Amino acid sequence: MSWRVAVAGLGQAYGAFILSYLLAVNSYYLLLMVAGFLRTRRALREIFRPDQRRLMRSPITPPISLLAPAFNEEANVAENVRSLLMLDYPLFEVILINDGSRDRTLDIVIRQFGLRPSARSFEYAVPCRTIRGVYESPTYPNLVVVDKENGGKADALNAGLNLAWYPLFCAIDADSVLEPDALLRLVRPFVEAPLETVAAGGIIRVANGCDIRAGRVRQVQLARRLLPLMQIVEYLRAFLFGRMGWSAGNSLLVISGAFGLFDKRVVVSVGGYATDTVGEDMELVVRIHRYLRDRGRRYRIGFVPDPICWTEVPETRRVLRRQRTRWQRGLIDTLWRHRALIGNPRYGAVGLLAMPGFLAFELLGPIVEFSGYVLLPLLWLAGVLSVQYALAFLLLAVLYAALVSSVAVLLEDISFRRYPRVRDLGLLVLAAVIENLGYRQLTTWWRVRAVWEFARGDHSWGVMERRGVGAR
Amino acid sequence: MEVASWVQVILPHRLTATLPRWLARGEVLTSMLPAIPLSLALLVVFALGGVVVLVLLSLLTQRAIVSLITNRAQRRQTALAPRVYQVLSPGASRAPVDDLLALGRFDRAVLRRLLLGLALDLRGEAAAALCGLYRDIGLLRGDIARLRSWRAADRAAAAADLGVIRDPAALPALLEGLRDRDSLVRQTAVWAVGEVGDRASLRKLVPLLGDSGARVARCAEEVLAFRGREVEETVLAYARDTTSQGGRRAAIDLLGWLRVSAAADFLLSSFEDPDAEIRVKSVKAAAAIGDPRFLEPFHDRLADDRWEVRCQAAKGLSVLGSPASVPWLETALRDSQWWVRFYAAAALAEIGERGEAALAAALEDPEPRVSGMARYLLERGAAVPALP
Repeated sequence: MSWRVAVAGLGQAYGAFILSYLLAVNSYYLLLMVAGFLRTRRALREIFRPDQRRLMRSPITPPISLLAPAFNEEANVAENVRSLLMLDYPLFEVILINDGSRDRTLDIVIRQFGLRPSARSFEYAVPCRTIRGVYESPTYPNLVVVDKENGGKADALNAGLNLAWYPLFCAIDADSVLEPDALLRLVRPFVEAPLETVAAGGIIRVANGCDIRAGRVRQVQLARRLLPLMQIVEYLRAFLFGRMGWSAGNSLLVISGAFGLFDKRVVVSVGGYATDTVGEDMELVVRIHRYLRDRGRRYRIGFVPDPICWTEVPETRRVLRRQRTRWQRGLIDTLWRHRALIGNPRYGAVGLLAMPGFLAFELLGPIVEFSGYVLLPLLWLAGVLSVQYALAFLLLAVLYAALVSSVAVLLEDISFRRYPRVRDLGLLVLAAVIENLGYRQLTTWWRVRAVWEFARGDHSWGVMERRGVGAR
Repeated sequence: MEVASWVQVILPHRLTATLPRWLARGEVLTSMLPAIPLSLALLVVFALGGVVVLVLLSLLTQRAIVSLITNRAQRRQTALAPRVYQVLSPGASRAPVDDLLALGRFDRAVLRRLLLGLALDLRGEAAAALCGLYRDIGLLRGDIARLRSWRAADRAAAAADLGVIRDPAALPALLEGLRDRDSLVRQTAVWAVGEVGDRASLRKLVPLLGDSGARVARCAEEVLAFRGREVEETVLAYARDTTSQGGRRAAIDLLGWLRVSAAADFLLSSFEDPDAEIRVKSVKAAAAIGDPRFLEPFHDRLADDRWEVRCQAAKGLSVLGSPASVPWLETALRDSQWWVRFYAAAALAEIGERGEAALAAALEDPEPRVSGMARYLLERGAAVPALP
């Protein structure tokens, strides 16, 4: 018995584990995507033609408060607010929350919209930093601007929540572009099942490369740069069909902070957005699940496949790294805070499927995959693993993942066909394959780093450098 | 330390009983990883690569097929549109449409889409002409037949199309659709009956306010909110007699939206219902109706234990605008709930001199929440938002 035999045995066992893991993780994504696709098809069938007109003039369409936090957004804030005010919806208000911007964000909106200080009364129903002032406009009666001390996005949303008048609120990023009827489409679950529905998420798409003028997407095009192109495929795979898949079992854990509609009363009951996490959007949804299941309430968190919110994604590696590490830290934080749900049958599909799934594949996935990239070549060089195993690893890490991404592109084209140009489709197909040759490994590494950062107690947000979606 | 002892330290007891023996015999290599022939590994790589290529090919193929069909449909639509406009033009006589009847399957589908698109926007004489054309070329018959399809999705789509076309000839089939086993079909049929239906058929929608399918009930409520005036006595009777709590709540909402003054007595009797939702909705409906008989009951409801009821009562008082409410509203201005204070202040602003004097006095109130609300309402005036 020697050390060499023991190390060889352990190395081979680990190799076998990684292979099984990669097989499982990619099959998980594929299954989720197929479930999401079937759900999407069904949802799209259920939307009958005059739906939008019906909702637009219906007295039972609930009013919505749009909450748009803004921090140093002077480049686009006026245009973005204007586009929000032009949305098709019977009754809504736009609450722009200036989260202590250090640039001229507040001055610009005050000047552009003729805002005046308002004595709008409110209560700190959920905790937030001090609100320095509220502004309203005689010209735009449904626009409210809140000026508050800087406290981060979650804190800004809480401030907006305190000021919101209406029973539903939609959290959006101030620099996102909504399609004109996006709210009408997103509100459908609340109209159809008002007593059960507590939240609904919508699709986020990548705005980079699109022709956007006056706050409207005039032509959908692919980004010309490589990083945003990869992210388009990633958004299709993970956000479009992945989230749709989870919503099929009422176990959706994430509603993107860039576009989600919530029942205000429920969110206030759970205490609003958590300000001490960087993954406030996921944390809120998990907390809502937990709160309502603890109380045995029947509820539904929906995901609507057709409303569209366009958002700008990072174009540089530096910014993308910050975003991905922040997302991963947010995920770890949420799973840690709500670890009591994991595997707990009391929480139904959320406890038995979604939370363990996120733990096993979203949190541990990058670690296992990254260890594979590092260890397997070493083990192969040391003669512990055969070339067959190295090939099998490559197969599962790259080819199977490319298959999953390609299927995502195919399903998007069947369901929505948002990229009508053949050239764009060709580029997407290419991106679906080559994202697994470098991009995926890079994001895996960043997510591994995030684990280390989380362990060190790093809770920073990082800065998103934007070119401005409306400015191009 | 020997490997076997080291393993015993780090592994659970059950494993240490066997694993060191394997290690000692060097069996791990064979027991844990069966050998994979290189050819098999390569075969799997190529197979999976082939599947990727297959997916990509199917993507391109389906895109090509869809593009071909779309382009052809666009060309045919351009060719057919002038003929359709000719038939639909005002004053056009009902000329024979034999040429349209003789169209092939693809062209009929294009024509159908064209007519359905136009029907969404047409009203009056042109809409009637469109109905006639749709019927004459047999599309109506096809939709009615689809309402009996074994696929629920087809039945729902047929009901939606019939609602868009708004041909009264489809009513009997749509009324049958109200009893469909699938909730999506029932929902769509409800909407379609709302588009096409006469008074008698609208009455059939009222019991659906208590349908087991939530979206069917919501759709019925929505349709009746638009067209319920024609059947308000049926809605009132349903609100009184139904055993379905959900249906009753919806009917009470409708009585408010439709401002059915004949419902005043019924609503007054519901003000003290043990079901809080019924109380909220009754007071809300009463506030919309604004009958002076509600004044005293509204004052009483300002002390309800549910803030939503207090809030609706304050709103009702703003509609009635009686100076007699001022003392009650002054008390409500101190309510613990923001919305109650807000509507109490709004009601005071609506009442006139006495109300405004009360608000002005509230400006000096030592409680910031009272003075703040008074200041806001005085600044904002009567522009009060819709109540959640």
